[in-house]
Amino acid sequence: MQVIERRIGDVTILQLIGRLELETGDLILRDTINRLVEDGQVKLVLDMKEVTRLDSAGIGMLVSKYLTVRRAGGTIKLLHPTERTDHLMDITKLTTVFQVFDDEASAVKSFNTAPAQGM
Amino acid sequence: MAQSPFGRRILVVDDDRGLRHVLAELLQGAGHQVGSAGDGPEALAMLGDGSGFDLVLLDIGLPSMSGLDVLARIRHMASPPLVIVMTADDTSATLLEAVRRQAYRYIRKPFPPSAVVDVVSEAGTPASALSIEVVSARPEWLEIVAPCALEMADRLQSFVLHLEANLPEAVREAVASAFRELLTNAIEWGGKFDPNRKVRISCVRTKRLLLYRIADPGEGFDIDKLRHAAITNPDDDPMRHLQVREEQGLRPGGFGLAMTRSLVDDLIYNEARNEVILIKYLDEGE
Repeated sequence: MQVIERRIGDVTILQLIGRLELETGDLILRDTINRLVEDGQVKLVLDMKEVTRLDSAGIGMLVSKYLTVRRAGGTIKLLHPTERTDHLMDITKLTTVFQVFDDEASAVKSFNTAPAQGM
Repeated sequence: MAQSPFGRRILVVDDDRGLRHVLAELLQGAGHQVGSAGDGPEALAMLGDGSGFDLVLLDIGLPSMSGLDVLARIRHMASPPLVIVMTADDTSATLLEAVRRQAYRYIRKPFPPSAVVDVVSEAGTPASALSIEVVSARPEWLEIVAPCALEMADRLQSFVLHLEANLPEAVREAVASAFRELLTNAIEWGGKFDPNRKVRISCVRTKRLLLYRIADPGEGFDIDKLRHAAITNPDDDPMRHLQVREEQGLRPGGFGLAMTRSLVDDLIYNEARNEVILIKYLDEGE
């Protein structure tokens, strides 16, 4: 999997491209987010539009890193999930955990309108 | 072809000159060294004992000599490269013969060019390639024995997706995802990622159902002790198991069974829970 990173203000957008599966993308995502948290970047938007495949390990990594970021005082929001990603998030009841957006501007703006909740 | 320090040494075999050209350009752009052949005899002459190439992209519908025959010849070379079969012929018989002859992966034409680059980049090396034992290769009863290595999840999922080519995409995707989750569980928990241990897989197809049975070499598990799996979470806390996994030093995950249960119609374990059957019922029209 390829991760393209860019900033809008203090929000980091991570564009995920490719497969987010066991040992095929999940470790890249883990390392990228760990580095951002170490750098104090904890307002993250994951653009899921180009995630071609997602398995339970990929979902597990998403949730694990969500917890990491929340413990650091920030949060992760999801942007443009595919229909399939949406379905898997629903099955695993994670639609109640992640805030999901269909457009980037709204996702970025949401960080400044709602304070991150503590764990 | 000289050993490449970075990319793979790839031979593209297809009688479509345009496609050969496009694939060669694309793969060279991705850093690979690429040769091409327009038919089987030319390909075999270029391959020699196989040691000059890491990977062959092989069309099945070749003139004068079938791609399946080329595949059989490659298999008996002194240093056989990996073979990725690409074909518009998606009949079960062709696919099963490709599995029997140790094709590494299967790509159905037409395909987006980027898919080939992805498959090539994900492929292992010829030296590390593991064999699949085909016990039965009838379209209505496929039975194989495979090493407990993670690469098998990708390889076998690609065959399963194409084996059910005549089913609606949503059904194929659901079954392939469920199959991959259960197979990964079998390889990881039952086989401990040990390629010397084997997982046995049967796929049975009738007019009304698809049935997959996966038997792993492990001792099974006690479902009451699966606190590291999402299926034991209370409805209002879908992340509770992650804390258990963290305490037990397990990788993030644990959503596999919850996902699988939602993707197929029945999921049945044996008493030891080292064998599992998944069933997807088909409508008359499917």
